[in-house]
Amino acid sequence: MKILIVDDSKAMRMIVTRTLRQAGFGDHEFLEAENGAEGLALVDTAAPDLVLSDWNMPEVNGIEFLQALRAKGNQVRFGFVTSESTDTMRSLASESGALFLIAKPFTADTFADALGGVLAA
Amino acid sequence: MTLANAVVTAEQITAIAQDVWSSFLQLDLLPVENVPIEGSSVTGCVHVSGEWGGSIFLQCPAGHAQVAAEAMFAADPGSLAAEEISDALGELTNMIGGNIKSLLPAPSTLSIPSVATGDTYTVRVPGAVVIEHVALACGAGDLHISIWKV
Repeated sequence: MKILIVDDSKAMRMIVTRTLRQAGFGDHEFLEAENGAEGLALVDTAAPDLVLSDWNMPEVNGIEFLQALRAKGNQVRFGFVTSESTDTMRSLASESGALFLIAKPFTADTFADALGGVLAA
Repeated sequence: MTLANAVVTAEQITAIAQDVWSSFLQLDLLPVENVPIEGSSVTGCVHVSGEWGGSIFLQCPAGHAQVAAEAMFAADPGSLAAEEISDALGELTNMIGGNIKSLLPAPSTLSIPSVATGDTYTVRVPGAVVIEHVALACGAGDLHISIWKV
């Protein structure tokens, strides 16, 4: 499977990739984008099976990215990995079609719990 | 020390910073005496606007920033470019700022982090006052976190 990691921080993209491997998802192919605009383009060209996106990004932020995908009928599995995790944001994420929201900082166990069922489906 | 008009306590800020540093850097932060950071340092900042308005600052010695970035990138000592160190400090600021924002009156939005590096620079947020300041340290050096309210 292909997993697209979208975050404006190169350091965070590396940590997410490393944590995915630690959580047992190292056999998947990882793609990267720096913001929602790049993410939208990569979803079109690479057709990932899962998108893991930051929320707070320049140009097109995470929720705009998700809403743009759904607006054009793309139902790719989508989860947030973000430093903000208020109830309001969790509700908005869920209403917009996100499967989960992982709060930073996180552990490999957090990823295993959130992604286990998603990737097995 | 928690000031009278603080909306987030020093204990909450300390707990958030300790969680981030231990989770992603494998470094243990402990409270220390508040002594100004001298020499080359790195400062990260995010702004909050909305129901609550203000800024959250992180400042640490350049050496601490380098160690933190090397841990995040899993890089060899001295191998990272200045841009990568700024990226790492920006993300650490974003994480701590985002977690602190979750404790502030809502709704509000968080800015993209800004990072400054150098020996002598002054940071000003017009009209803002410091309502909380926490001094922490780990083996890599000091870390100061301050909350400014507009």
